[in-house]
Amino acid sequence: MVCKRTLMVGEETMDAAELIGYLSPTKPRRLRVIENILIGKRTVSTLYWGMRYHQLAWLGYDKQLTRQTMDGHVERLVHDGLLSVTDTNAVLTKKGAERQQVLRQTRYQPKALPVRLTVDLDTFWQRFLLATQVVSEQSYQTRKYYPLQVAWPVKQMIKKWYQQFYSADLSAEFNAVLTRFLKQLAVREATFFSRLLVGHDRPGETLLQLAQQNGLSSSEAHLMLTDLACQFVHFLRAQSDSSVKALLAGLSRQPISESALNTLNRFQAGQALEEIGHQRRLKVSTVKEHLLEAAIMLPVDQFPYEKLLTPQLQNELSDQFATQNLDDWQFNQLSNTQVAFWQFRLFEILRSKQTDDQQ
Amino acid sequence: MISNDQFYQTLRLRFGFDSFRPGQLEALTSLASGQNTLAVLPTGAGKTLIYELYGAVTHQLVLVVSPLISLMQDQVISLNVRGEKRAAALTSQMSRSEHQWVVNHLKFYRYLFVSPEMLSQPQVLAAVKAVKPGLLVVDEAHCISTWGPDFRPEYLLLGQIRHQLGDPLTLMTTATATNRVKADIKRKMQLSKAAEIIQPVDRPNIFLDVERFEAADDKDARLVELVSELRTPGVIYFSSKKKANEMAELLNAKTSCRVAAYHADLDAETRFKVQQQFMQDQLDVICATSAFGMGIDKNNIRFVIHYHLPGDLESYWQEIGRAGRDGQQSVAILLYLSGDEQLSQFLSDATVPQDDEISYYFKHQPQENSAEKANLIWFYKQHGYREEQIKLAFTKRREQRALALSQLMTYVRIPTCKRAFIQGYFGQPIASKVSQCCVNDSEGLDLQQLGLLVSTPVSSGTQQADWQTIIAQLFNFS
Repeated sequence: MVCKRTLMVGEETMDAAELIGYLSPTKPRRLRVIENILIGKRTVSTLYWGMRYHQLAWLGYDKQLTRQTMDGHVERLVHDGLLSVTDTNAVLTKKGAERQQVLRQTRYQPKALPVRLTVDLDTFWQRFLLATQVVSEQSYQTRKYYPLQVAWPVKQMIKKWYQQFYSADLSAEFNAVLTRFLKQLAVREATFFSRLLVGHDRPGETLLQLAQQNGLSSSEAHLMLTDLACQFVHFLRAQSDSSVKALLAGLSRQPISESALNTLNRFQAGQALEEIGHQRRLKVSTVKEHLLEAAIMLPVDQFPYEKLLTPQLQNELSDQFATQNLDDWQFNQLSNTQVAFWQFRLFEILRSKQTDDQQ
Repeated sequence: MISNDQFYQTLRLRFGFDSFRPGQLEALTSLASGQNTLAVLPTGAGKTLIYELYGAVTHQLVLVVSPLISLMQDQVISLNVRGEKRAAALTSQMSRSEHQWVVNHLKFYRYLFVSPEMLSQPQVLAAVKAVKPGLLVVDEAHCISTWGPDFRPEYLLLGQIRHQLGDPLTLMTTATATNRVKADIKRKMQLSKAAEIIQPVDRPNIFLDVERFEAADDKDARLVELVSELRTPGVIYFSSKKKANEMAELLNAKTSCRVAAYHADLDAETRFKVQQQFMQDQLDVICATSAFGMGIDKNNIRFVIHYHLPGDLESYWQEIGRAGRDGQQSVAILLYLSGDEQLSQFLSDATVPQDDEISYYFKHQPQENSAEKANLIWFYKQHGYREEQIKLAFTKRREQRALALSQLMTYVRIPTCKRAFIQGYFGQPIASKVSQCCVNDSEGLDLQQLGLLVSTPVSSGTQQADWQTIIAQLFNFS
């Protein structure tokens, strides 16, 4: 058995209202893509459509999600006349679109969710909670107390962290940093965040208790926790060095898989696709998939599009699809050209980022 | 030999007490004279103190075999909180590197907690043997008998493991054991000559109540009523996690009590918070499965209610023993709905393999994701049992479980004194008459008379502090 789950990666959290948020009233969306994004499958097709649905920030958000739960919510929404499903493509009905509007006003809307993909949020949260408890008890000079139960590496890390910082005025620093952070949040969110914390004479409140107090569904409370933790990481990254910021040490992540990153670095260094494939014992098609994953997950300026799509090819493709909406492009429209499917897809990615990312 | 003076001195220095509780010194003296010892002491009597003190006086490794990971972790933390840093629990929840670190540094530890499964691993066993433990403790020793063959077969190997460790001095502790269970523990540990230190299991400050229902709604309504009227804190036991969640929600809605569920499905952060809120009286009632309690040391629990039947009287007595550790009047209430025993029977039966299952699993080696029973049967095959022997053993086991349940049902139905029945069951002499005894000796349950009627309703909801106050309080800036 592995170490017990923690709050961030808890049991499946989806509810029907959450599902409405992933859907559109104008464009049918593939339910399997939505599901695979939430579970965290990194196939190019899933990631590409996840990007088109503006859902990439949710990659791996609900790893425990089952087909049964997903289908149950779909069935319910269809039954309530909010959703229409053909094959496994779903589109919101007029009533569904109205509900989506209402939910956008009333349901918690995340502000910093993409941060999830750039940090080990779960470990950060464990570190932060334990550090807060340690500093709180220190400020009351308590030596004997019941510590939060966290994974062993987290415990070891906090021990070292404490040895490094204990002579600093930790409680003043925690007080100042947290006050600065919470001040910029809405009162409800700041209160929610502060109540989760554990310290001297404060066992902290559970997510379920906070959900009940705030009239939130557990899905919404879970989202609020995740997003507030993301906002906090984002806030700390912009701050000057402090004991609190040091809790992020070693937790940065690339939004793309290690293998894809390896391929991308080699390509950037000038290796040819075949050469990369040969050295890494990968099929060339896998090498190309790595590059597509990187293109999807990284900002435009961090991916060498021009090395894979010549200006001439880009012009050719632009002309071909000039009058068409991106989601209606078909690869077989290019049957007269030498363009390969992966190049076509890469161009789609580029176009998607150039036009849609502003949304 | 260690003198009593040494024990008293360490008791004062380490624990700040001047006197032992009944049974503690007797057990220590018995161990000091080199006697393997079976100590049957009621819950709350301080069994942990015995081996903690023994380790502190003899400066040798104390190896504690314990049934539950959560219990081991609690025990390690309690030792840590008391300032003893040389304690560790070797559990299956550890990462490889952590596990390896502990195994490689065993000689730095004074107290090591392990499950029987962990101790059965050759590498662990060899490492423990190398540091020569001064005392082997089998905690919750009734598990050898009650959990034996169908659930945790490694418990049956403990006798053999003890030999492999070079027959270290052994202490077996439990809160509840009938004569049969005591004999069973000694036989399976191969310690038939072990000394017995027995204290009365009775807890005279716990009033015993059983209430019977014909409809589930009536039982639920009564639970709501009881929780509204009873002095808190209290614990309600369920045999299903789902029901514990549901009733926690219902009680939060229908009473002014602050209620939370506690069971093995909760994540570590939530479990910590619920446990600590309860310890600090910020929660009034816990809806728990049996995962809660073994390590909980809260002495002012006023009531323990059972919504479902436990599997046997030992478990029942163990669980109600959480109440009234401070010696104040408390109450144990068992809510019985006609047919509840079928759920109990089902849960009990489900763990004991049937003949056809035994035949099947005997022939098929378990895979990684095989049923628990597959591993169970394979365990016996690996240890040289024949198919027929296994079938016979499990048939006997099923009969034993059925008998245990029927004895619990007798407790539920018996129209005479419940306490006298319990004492008879545990083979102990009937103690002098308890003034507030049980539902059959009084005119039912009178909370007023027991002093257990809530005087002022507890304030509902937690303090609505704003974030500024919380942060200031956390870091002592208020």
